[in-house]
Amino acid sequence: MSRSVRYTSSPLLASKTPVWRSKFVVAAVALGFMGLAARAAYIQVIGNAFFQRQGEVRFARTLELPAYRGRILDRNGLILASSVPVPSLWAIPDDVDRDPAKRRELARLLDMPLVELNKKLDSEDKSFVWVKRQIDESVARRVAELGIKGLYQRKEYRRQYPEGEAAAHVVGFTNVEDQGQEGIELAFNKALGGKPGSRRVIKDRLGQVVEDIGETLPPIDGQDLQLSIDSKVQFFAYQKLRESVLANKARAGSAVVLDAQSGEVLALANYPSFEPGLRQHLSGEQLRNRALTDTFEPGSTMKPITVGMALEAGRITPQTLIDTNPGYYTITGSTIHDVSNHGLLTVEGVIQKSSNIGASKIAFRMSPHEMWDTFTALGFGQKPQLAFPGVVSGRLRPYKSWRPIEQATMSYGYGLSASLFQMAHSYTAFAHDGEYIEATLLKSDAPAAGVRVFSSQTAAQVRKMLQMAASPGGTGPKAMTVGYSVGGKSGTAHKQEGRGYAANKYRAWFTGIAPVDKPRIIVAVMVDEPSAGRYFGGDVAAPVFSEVVQQTLRLMGVQPDLSVKPQVVAQRVEESV
Amino acid sequence: MVRLNLVLLVAIVLSALYLVHNQYESRRLFTELDRAQNEARKIELESDRLEVEKRAQATPSRVESLARTQMQMRPATPAITQYVTYAGDKAGGSP
Repeated sequence: MSRSVRYTSSPLLASKTPVWRSKFVVAAVALGFMGLAARAAYIQVIGNAFFQRQGEVRFARTLELPAYRGRILDRNGLILASSVPVPSLWAIPDDVDRDPAKRRELARLLDMPLVELNKKLDSEDKSFVWVKRQIDESVARRVAELGIKGLYQRKEYRRQYPEGEAAAHVVGFTNVEDQGQEGIELAFNKALGGKPGSRRVIKDRLGQVVEDIGETLPPIDGQDLQLSIDSKVQFFAYQKLRESVLANKARAGSAVVLDAQSGEVLALANYPSFEPGLRQHLSGEQLRNRALTDTFEPGSTMKPITVGMALEAGRITPQTLIDTNPGYYTITGSTIHDVSNHGLLTVEGVIQKSSNIGASKIAFRMSPHEMWDTFTALGFGQKPQLAFPGVVSGRLRPYKSWRPIEQATMSYGYGLSASLFQMAHSYTAFAHDGEYIEATLLKSDAPAAGVRVFSSQTAAQVRKMLQMAASPGGTGPKAMTVGYSVGGKSGTAHKQEGRGYAANKYRAWFTGIAPVDKPRIIVAVMVDEPSAGRYFGGDVAAPVFSEVVQQTLRLMGVQPDLSVKPQVVAQRVEESV
Repeated sequence: MVRLNLVLLVAIVLSALYLVHNQYESRRLFTELDRAQNEARKIELESDRLEVEKRAQATPSRVESLARTQMQMRPATPAITQYVTYAGDKAGGSP
């Protein structure tokens, strides 16, 4: 501090510096600013889009908004299928814990072999693997408690089918991607499925959504679908069918219940069936919706139709006598038989006793063309107008190629084939006063649209014959119910095997309507290969028919039309009970 | 002139801070709303799930078997049913 410097007289200042130095500094600074300006212009003007995009990639996310798959309801609004969110387990293989003890525990929880689990978790080239999809809530919670790193859960929708195997064939099922695979789920996949939406958001460091950007596309939920099925009727039909198939040691069976007024399908049951939620060990046998996708020769259940068309054409009356002596009948070299010689029968008797010869002789009063027309009008050889996958048309050959023996056999249900559903459907012509009405699997409030096939007089006459056939003296007295009049025709068809008919394999059929005067329902039952001794339609299928009719009419609140001896003993019940 | 500029400077700084605050507040509220919406959806799904479960507990097959085994009930037939008819019901008529 003792010596002070006088800067104004600093020798440094005294020295002369060249002018270019200061100019150089100014130029350098100016250049720097220009560089900055250029960079700013590049980022904000020229490369703007690129940088905006890069920024967005780091904080903006597109979230998918899943659409809810519509429910399937029965006619009373009860749920037949509904989507429920369940956890699914996924992993980033690189991040997963290698601790073998934890892995063993995980494999045990997931009920999965350890080798398989390890294979999934050790796949090197993947950044995402499903470990197990759609697991139970309780399992998911315990897996979460294990605290395995790199293992995550997300919610997926799973279909639940409360009605289980009883309605499995109608409702169908979806796969793990929530796409319909069978039944109604497949037929109406589009309407049920809906359309997922999306929204674009900004997420913060913690993964929380802080702002919406752009437009949100709301998801369009799938529509609920209301079927014509009544789940109670469906269950009864399934239960009775199963009992019968098991008791008769049969291979399979089907039952169809139609509303005779509206053409709605109230029940459509098949056995063997399956649990739609557990499909690991499924066989084709269980999966087949036989009532719609399998066609058979319907046998004697066809006779009322033959008689109906002859009545309609005026070739016979219910009292016309048909000679069925001597119990067999030879047409161009082929012989057809009756079970026994019924002698001289009225047309009513032909139906009641189920005479093949009688039906053939009635058929010969008509031309093949006439028969073909009526068969076609009743839906034989035609695909049912039913929105359902795998519906088949059955076989009805063009009338020009019919030989006389074929015309005869068709009159009693051989030489043409139909599904059980078609059979039940054709009986709407008798049940709906001569009109063949549209059948539907969806609930409809509109009155059924029908095409007249028979006059209402013919329909009433055939119904009377059906009632006789289902009475003592007919072939199906076991179809009778308590309180309700029923009419129906049994059928016992030989099964085709290879080129001919199997000697001791049968299909037992029963198709009928109830109550006879004001029909409300049509029920058709088919049991395949009953092998516990009895095989006649009247013995095997008719009891199922009877029980289904009994319960269905009771559930529909139909009052009995026959007098019943009441078993209720009127007694005073104490008020407190 | 200088004073006016200073006032404007203060005003703009305040306004900027207010904007920041508002932005923050709006994001906070948005997060809250979003969370509430998620919660609502979750509850909705849960209610759907419970409804299906309720339905699964009340299927005809379960009701039937419980009625049969636990309560010793049997299906009604017309023989043990007393039909009641309305006065105006034409189709009526007790068996």
